[in-house]
Amino acid sequence: MTALAQVPDLESRDPRDPSLRLENLFDPGSLRELNRRDESGVYTARGTIDGAAVVAYCTDATKMGGAMGSEGCRHIVDAIDSAVRQRVPVIAIWHSGGARLAEGVEALDAVGLVFAAMVRASGRVPQISVVLGPAAGGAAYGPALTDLVIMGPAGRVFVTGPDVVRSVTGEDVDMERLGGPDTHGRRSGVVHVTVDSEAGALQAARTATALLAIQGSFDLSAAVRDNEVDLATLMPDSPQRAYDVKPIVAALLDEPPLELHTRWAPNVVTALGRLAGRSVGVIANNPLRLGGCLNSESAEKAARFVRMCDAFGLPLVVLVDVPGYLPGVGQEWDGVVRRGAKLLHAFAEAVVPRVTLVTRKSYGGAYIAMNARSLGATAVFAWPGAEVAVMGAKAAVGILHRKKLAAAALEDRQALHDHLAREHERIAGGVNRALQLGVVDAVVEPADTRRRLVEALAAAPAGRGAHGNIPL
Amino acid sequence: MSRVVEQIQAEMVSNVLKIVVTVGDQIGPGDTVVILESMKMEIPVVCESGGVITEIAVHEGEVIQEGDLIAVIDSDQVAEPLVP
Repeated sequence: MTALAQVPDLESRDPRDPSLRLENLFDPGSLRELNRRDESGVYTARGTIDGAAVVAYCTDATKMGGAMGSEGCRHIVDAIDSAVRQRVPVIAIWHSGGARLAEGVEALDAVGLVFAAMVRASGRVPQISVVLGPAAGGAAYGPALTDLVIMGPAGRVFVTGPDVVRSVTGEDVDMERLGGPDTHGRRSGVVHVTVDSEAGALQAARTATALLAIQGSFDLSAAVRDNEVDLATLMPDSPQRAYDVKPIVAALLDEPPLELHTRWAPNVVTALGRLAGRSVGVIANNPLRLGGCLNSESAEKAARFVRMCDAFGLPLVVLVDVPGYLPGVGQEWDGVVRRGAKLLHAFAEAVVPRVTLVTRKSYGGAYIAMNARSLGATAVFAWPGAEVAVMGAKAAVGILHRKKLAAAALEDRQALHDHLAREHERIAGGVNRALQLGVVDAVVEPADTRRRLVEALAAAPAGRGAHGNIPL
Repeated sequence: MSRVVEQIQAEMVSNVLKIVVTVGDQIGPGDTVVILESMKMEIPVVCESGGVITEIAVHEGEVIQEGDLIAVIDSDQVAEPLVP
């Protein structure tokens, strides 16, 4: 099942052994028990990750399938409360069938106390879940209440299992399709990171923990590197051509980022990484997917990410290349107004330094939503040739001069449209009007972008939002 | 064992601007299959898994809807298994 080569007595230990799982999570030799391994179905300990103190709890799948009873839940509540007192991250490892049936309502009450402890800790200390087996029923909401959810190949999260689903709705589905990595990584957005091995999932939790717990500070001397990539070379020649924004995000950062929700709402990229030595959050429109449009899911994904970064004091870098909101009946009925409002709220509320860069275009309502000056951006930069407008010049004159265009002879119409568009662009388009108004602070060269971003973020007062991190 | 096929579907309403591959072509992960036009942008649609193109379900100039089938790729010949 698991690659556990570093453990000498592999043969004698069950791979589900919670002490083994926590040993594999922590730095070697750093595990200190918070409770003895008992019949409660929960094992808790403190330890270190890259030297940073953390608290962790693990449901014990070798005891009644990891089902949660009152005693085990008390261990979890104690672990979370102690992490909050020490201001250290909490990592949860899930492999549990849910509440213990034999305990009845007592177990339900205990699971509720766990949820309450998680919410008390929300926004105060990072909470990271690693789902390595089934997390069913009550246990499903454990991971869901935390800041980041990482799932291994055997991870399954669902409220009601295949048998109940079949008996009530007649749908025939297995545990994996109901709540496995593909389902939650691609369709539901419950899981932030899917990893194809248990060891990899624990490693991802270590990476995320280090980014949140060991944030570092901006090193201005590291803002310019010897081998700096000119970001302009990563852009397509045609301004109409879509491209993948991920290489640009990677080139900006010190090392490859930890991308969250890679396959859910892929038209916006959310990633944790380091920029000139400091942990930051990056939000980027991805033109390769849906043309980079914002839609209901991507707005919600970005909003939750912004709030998480704000809650833990991570500065934000916002890369904008957005043609607008995705039009359509489906989007409106899907609540793009309600869910899009979350992104406006999240940015406007955020007190961390947050710098916006418009690479190519920023149109309409999406312009505002992508951390515009009006929402309180620390700084707004644009690359030469970027367009900041209500819509593209051609579309704008099509509306503004509809009658004039209709009156023109058919053979002249295209030329007139082009002429009017150029005029419009001169007056209202490009980036000049935005510069005059001060909604864009400066035009920066792609090759100089990293330095300008770092300087702007480092100069801004550090902040940390005083709010919880509700799973939007 | 059933054959592993990747069905490429349209993510949004768009116009098929250019079909880059033909049936029988071997392509790799990340290769462009067609270029769509939507929101005044040219959007390359890339293959996730790689394999052999067994069907192209659209033609250039056609307007397609969200969820419409664009192409089918037989991924059986790829050495690496698909990521879950």
